[in-house]
Amino acid sequence: MRRRAVRRRGEDLFWYTFLPTAIAVGLLWLVASQIKWSFVETLDFAALWKFRLALWQGTLNTLILTGVSVALGTVGGTLLAVGLQLRFRPLSWLIVSYVEIFRNTPLLLQLFWIHFALPQLTGISTTPFQSGFIAVTLQSTAYLADIARAGIQAIPKGQWEAADALGLSARVKWLEIVLPQALKIMIPPLANIAVGYFKASAVLALLSVGELMTVTTRIAQYSFKPIEAFTLAGAIYLVLGAIFSSLTYKLERVFSTSEKRQ
Amino acid sequence: MTWDWAVFFGTFPLLGSALVTTLELVIASLVLASLIGVILCFGRLIGKGALGWLATAYVSMFRGLPETVLIFWIYYCGPFVFDARLSSFASGVLSLSLVAGAYMGEIFRAGVLAVPRGQYEAADALGLSKVHLVRDVAAPQAFRIMLPAIFSQVTILTKNSSIVSAIGVAELFYRGSTLAGDTFRYFEIFSAVGLVYFALIFPLSLLSQRLERTLAVTR
Repeated sequence: MRRRAVRRRGEDLFWYTFLPTAIAVGLLWLVASQIKWSFVETLDFAALWKFRLALWQGTLNTLILTGVSVALGTVGGTLLAVGLQLRFRPLSWLIVSYVEIFRNTPLLLQLFWIHFALPQLTGISTTPFQSGFIAVTLQSTAYLADIARAGIQAIPKGQWEAADALGLSARVKWLEIVLPQALKIMIPPLANIAVGYFKASAVLALLSVGELMTVTTRIAQYSFKPIEAFTLAGAIYLVLGAIFSSLTYKLERVFSTSEKRQ
Repeated sequence: MTWDWAVFFGTFPLLGSALVTTLELVIASLVLASLIGVILCFGRLIGKGALGWLATAYVSMFRGLPETVLIFWIYYCGPFVFDARLSSFASGVLSLSLVAGAYMGEIFRAGVLAVPRGQYEAADALGLSKVHLVRDVAAPQAFRIMLPAIFSQVTILTKNSSIVSAIGVAELFYRGSTLAGDTFRYFEIFSAVGLVYFALIFPLSLLSQRLERTLAVTR
């Protein structure tokens, strides 16, 4: 009996540890063996130093675009979620179709639609930066409407009933009872969305919106150093993204502890 | 310029082959991402040792990189750094699945961990062999738990497949923008392309939401 158990553990070790490790290491070796080290040695990251101001400007543009769009999206999304709670059929239907259309089509398509198609409708043409800004705002509004809806629904029924029993006006009920609590529930997913758009905003470079990836593409073409430029851009996204994600975890912890204390 | 229904409806037949390319991109990326995900899942479940360390490093790296950067890097820089020349389609599939693989690994891990421990213990107590334990007890339950997340990952993949147009793969968005650029009928053509994407993605996300709801009820 004991021997059988030992043998089974050995088999487990083979199937669940050694084999996957061997495959992973093999793949890694396969990739590494294809690296042309003689070329890698000639890479010159110092040449990017003279583009530091442009890169800084691009990073700043990305941060501003993401921050302002998601902030506006939070306001818009909350308004849409409140609109859904009014239980007025045509309005709900309109809001749901808005949310589903923006959630179920690519950001890239929305961007081009706003930049090229919308001016035919409105007669007002927008700069690429404005189009990028509008696209991210509209899409994040749709995602945040869903999060706000979940946040509002998570508020206990007792709170609504208490507000009604106290005879509070609709304005006080929403602004001082429902929304502050809903916002607290919304914060962790909201932070996730913000980090997501920080990453996703790189797509806007396909319209040369002027954020980090656009600047990187220009530098790559101008300096003939695409590898250095794209690698650096990847590193900037990775490092800033990691910082924002760790802040998100902290935020999540803060809000989950304050929740428990109640 | 006014809306022209003839242009709008005339766009759909022209998108046929592009739709096939998009589907090929999504399916190929999904398969490759699942393979990457399985290996990562083992590593993340073990948590320590070479594989655990590699998997953690992989996940944190590829979850943090925008697909756009990766697509540009693999297509423009890959041939210089590596001794391999990939077509634009292969570069697109590789970059989409490298990122999706990191998410798939996490989905698989969450699914395996969500199967209650008692199920494994019960299977052991019943004397089921390893094959039966995995095939008849653990896998069906874990798969059911993973399914909504997998569907939502497919919708994300479909949306991200539009980025591959940047390196000239003739998928839906690429075909749409070249058609629109030729005719200056941006409004009708981009709306038609949007409708095709919506028709692809919306049923999947509905299915994902519905499955999630049934899962929440049954558990």
